Amino acid sequence: MIPRRIVVALAAVAVAAATLHAADTLPSILISRQLSESEHIAVGDVVRLSRESDGAAAQQFRVSGVYEPTPDPARLGAVIREVQLHLPDLLTLTREPAMPAGSEYVESINVALVDPADADAFARDVQARMPGISAQPATGAAESTGPFLVLRRFHLAIAIVTIVASTVFLLALTIMLVDERRAAVGVLRLIGLPIRRILVQLFLEGLLIATIGSLFGLVLSLVSEGLINRFFQWRYDTALVFVRVTPEVAAICVAIAVPLGVSATVVASWALLRRNGLRLARR
Amino acid sequence: MNAMGFAWRSLIRQPARASLGVLGVAAVGALLFDMLLLSQGLVVSMRDLFERTGFDLRVTATDSLPGQGPLIPNAVAAARAIAKLPTVRSAIALRFANATIVDGGPRGYYTSFQGVEGTGAHPWSILRGRDIGTGAEIVINENTATRLALAPGSRVVLRASCTDQKQALPPMPFTVAGVAQFPFDTPRGATLATSLEMLADACGGNESDEADVIMVASQDSAGPAAAVADVATLLPDLRVLSNAEAVNRFERGGFTYFRQISTVLTTVTLSFAVLLITVLLTVSINQRLGEIAALRALGFSRWRVVADVLCESVLIVGGGGLLSLPIGGLLAAGLDNILKRIPGIPADVHFFVFQPSALRVHLLLLAATAVIAALYPIRIVARLPIAATLRDEVVG
Repeated sequence: MIPRRIVVALAAVAVAAATLHAADTLPSILISRQLSESEHIAVGDVVRLSRESDGAAAQQFRVSGVYEPTPDPARLGAVIREVQLHLPDLLTLTREPAMPAGSEYVESINVALVDPADADAFARDVQARMPGISAQPATGAAESTGPFLVLRRFHLAIAIVTIVASTVFLLALTIMLVDERRAAVGVLRLIGLPIRRILVQLFLEGLLIATIGSLFGLVLSLVSEGLINRFFQWRYDTALVFVRVTPEVAAICVAIAVPLGVSATVVASWALLRRNGLRLARR
Repeated sequence: MNAMGFAWRSLIRQPARASLGVLGVAAVGALLFDMLLLSQGLVVSMRDLFERTGFDLRVTATDSLPGQGPLIPNAVAAARAIAKLPTVRSAIALRFANATIVDGGPRGYYTSFQGVEGTGAHPWSILRGRDIGTGAEIVINENTATRLALAPGSRVVLRASCTDQKQALPPMPFTVAGVAQFPFDTPRGATLATSLEMLADACGGNESDEADVIMVASQDSAGPAAAVADVATLLPDLRVLSNAEAVNRFERGGFTYFRQISTVLTTVTLSFAVLLITVLLTVSINQRLGEIAALRALGFSRWRVVADVLCESVLIVGGGGLLSLPIGGLLAAGLDNILKRIPGIPADVHFFVFQPSALRVHLLLLAATAVIAALYPIRIVARLPIAATLRDEVVG
């Protein structure tokens, strides 16, 4: 793993470095797509990198490829100018003159397990055997970091406010829609249908409308998912996925929307049905 | 009776419906108001924080943020040279490191450690005790004082860590001169500060004249732009940024996310409000078509019934909009508390900041919502065939 500070410094020097053509014996590097585009550096070009801001003790490298950086929400909006070196080349380039070879350190070691399901057990094992080393499964590490937890809570709070506003509007709409059928309900009461029977009918109607509405909402969110992702990926020049409608999210939405819709219908209907049948049917 | 009075009476005839409409607008309006506060809040807050430090220029070795790039060589001499410029009032050199206070525990107490040197006031405010002198003295922030039960006059031993490399520097004793408030402290952060010379000693004494950043205060008569030009001419190898440029860079950085999300949510909430108020008014109008036709037959003009519908929309949106301000204020405080838990955010930075311009935009958007939402119902009443509607009402 290359320390980020060094990568940034190297990238900054690479920006200023002149591109040259040289023999294939030079050590190879990869550069990010953004660096390639902004500085017009292509595969096969030779660049000079230095750990010093004045370009002292620069070394030559050949660009062997251009890569798309792994999307990182923490670097959203930043133009990622990165260079990836082989670790021995990086250590040679960044080692202090007085430092003996082999005494350098790395910030982290990425481990690919034969069975990814063993990640938790492996992490516990490493921490037990090597005190002072922190080992974390990669998936857990991403979700347990502060900013993502905070953003998740923020989005949840926004979602709650939106649901409250929707519920209030929904209730207002159902009251009006039920009220619009006041005369029809009054006639049903006058011809002898019990309140319970009418309420069941209105409940089923509400269920049908809420289900269709939820499904329409899901289709709308699936369509907007693509549009939102494409817009923000274009806006930030990143491959990051901003919106993802997962089956779990869809299920939660339906589980909230359908009961809310049905409840609003039943509450509004009950208020109407408590009135006298003759009064309801009166024009 | 004028149109507004008539609309008011129409609404109070159906109190449940009207109340729910107003409450719905209030909830949506509160969210809209908060998104407007969020759109510029962080930038306004950062600008305010920069200005409160008393310095309006930052000089660094590269474009990296202070503390994340290479050190400025001969920083003390550079700061003194900058301070002598006619457009500059004062300049100080700052170096950032880390330190562990040896407190008897197995790991000690981890802190940010900064050293300062120069002609200007120090970038902190003394709360208790006094500022650092010439000896081995430090000022500490409130968190450190509370956590370690330290007070002015207390003695501490700390072990500095000054580079990326793992270091085993010898511990060094310091006396606490005072307790200070640091502008960029995080809510739970621990910060210490001393002179650049003492920090260099704690760092092993090898880099005694290097700093991460030189903070410069320009002369009021010259302004930051002239000072930026002078400093850039004096030290062409260094990068000079005014507060405005630093805020601009910050604005373009990772936190643009909040501006983008506020734009998206503003658009969504407005569309939502327009759609729902349109439906509320339309259904309401449809239920009163006979009544409206009768009023037309009695002599109400087309424009008068149109004005009635528009006033109804204005009353619903206006009532909801008024309610949305206190609700939005409370909601903003809650959401700000959530977002301020992002690690590394200074305690004095806020995501939701009130500005008069946000209130103006809020009112403008709500007014536009009231008008747009009323367009379709207005079209219905404007084109209402009086005789046919009355006949349908009687026959139906």
